[in-house]
Amino acid sequence: MARHPVRVLRPGSAVQSARKFTEKHEWITTENGIGTVGISNFAQEALGDVVYCSLPEVGTKLKKQDEFGALESVKAASELYSPLSGDVTQVKEALAENPGIVNKSCYEDGWLIKMALSDPSELDDLMSEEASEKYVKSIEE
Amino acid sequence: MPLPAVRLLWLGRARYSDLLALQEQWLRRLQVDPRPGAPSGTEAGALLVCEPAGPVYTGGLRGGLTPEEITRLRALGAEVRATGRGGLATFHGPGQLLCHPVLDLRRLGLRLRTHVAALEACAVRLCELLGLRGARARPPPYTGVWLGERKICAIGVRCGRHITSHGLALNCSTDLTWFEHIVPCGLVGTGVTSLSEALQRLVTVDEVMPSFLVAFQETFKCTLISEDSPS
Repeated sequence: MARHPVRVLRPGSAVQSARKFTEKHEWITTENGIGTVGISNFAQEALGDVVYCSLPEVGTKLKKQDEFGALESVKAASELYSPLSGDVTQVKEALAENPGIVNKSCYEDGWLIKMALSDPSELDDLMSEEASEKYVKSIEE
Repeated sequence: MPLPAVRLLWLGRARYSDLLALQEQWLRRLQVDPRPGAPSGTEAGALLVCEPAGPVYTGGLRGGLTPEEITRLRALGAEVRATGRGGLATFHGPGQLLCHPVLDLRRLGLRLRTHVAALEACAVRLCELLGLRGARARPPPYTGVWLGERKICAIGVRCGRHITSHGLALNCSTDLTWFEHIVPCGLVGTGVTSLSEALQRLVTVDEVMPSFLVAFQETFKCTLISEDSPS
């Protein structure tokens, strides 16, 4: 039986799926088959000030859980993993000049890549925002 | 509850490429998600330690070396390598204690930032054990361990799937003139120093190793285990 992601309607915007999360603290929202990927508030806080974003080129083909780049902070580079499978269609260019946007606005302006999804059903394997919050609480000291 | 065990791999004088190859092996081994019920008696990671056999300059994720610099450094007889670690350019060579802890952060109760802090604390503790006062960590962008305005220990790490790689480089009896050919860690106007310079006598990597292992176990709250035969 097909399951659909919960649809959230915002005034004046196209239908967009609710945010879903991986266990590695990346999030994805989807709209018309295009996924937007970023890192969670938990992740940006854990990183500290992001000083550099290493992101893939447009056209890169990613499988779910493939490493697609890294974020650097405090002499530490943290790898990023693709929540879903697809082709990279856009990279957030502004992060090259202003990597700190990831810290300031991890769910809005601080998105990292957009991708054309090759298998939207993979969304079912990801956690809802609520499940993600529970998961984060369970792994915190 | 017993402390997590970390496998000690002391390579002695080693080529940088050999250190990286061993690091890769351990990364592949540790990054495979453990099956549920995997015995917790297994190692939480490996501590790769060596004294670089020859001069090597490395850049990090952001780079840190221009093509012109790379040509110049190679002409000096040094290797030049790109890495995926944090931080900019640095130097590794004989007389330096180069340590790459390949650790499962979950098993050590660490986050990436506390891992970096533990590396700093380890180097500071080592200095204390050697009778050197005044070594301190400094906040970003001066991450690393300093004596006054000179850096004695550089730090740069990478983390993927909770497993760390790269680590710290502590100058014991390093020929510091190698650092004059780069801007270390991209920090213009800062200097470097070594244990030998600070203590005004020859301090070798071999002399420092036992204290380093004590400092590591203390700051990372783990037990180092080793086999008799080298890996």
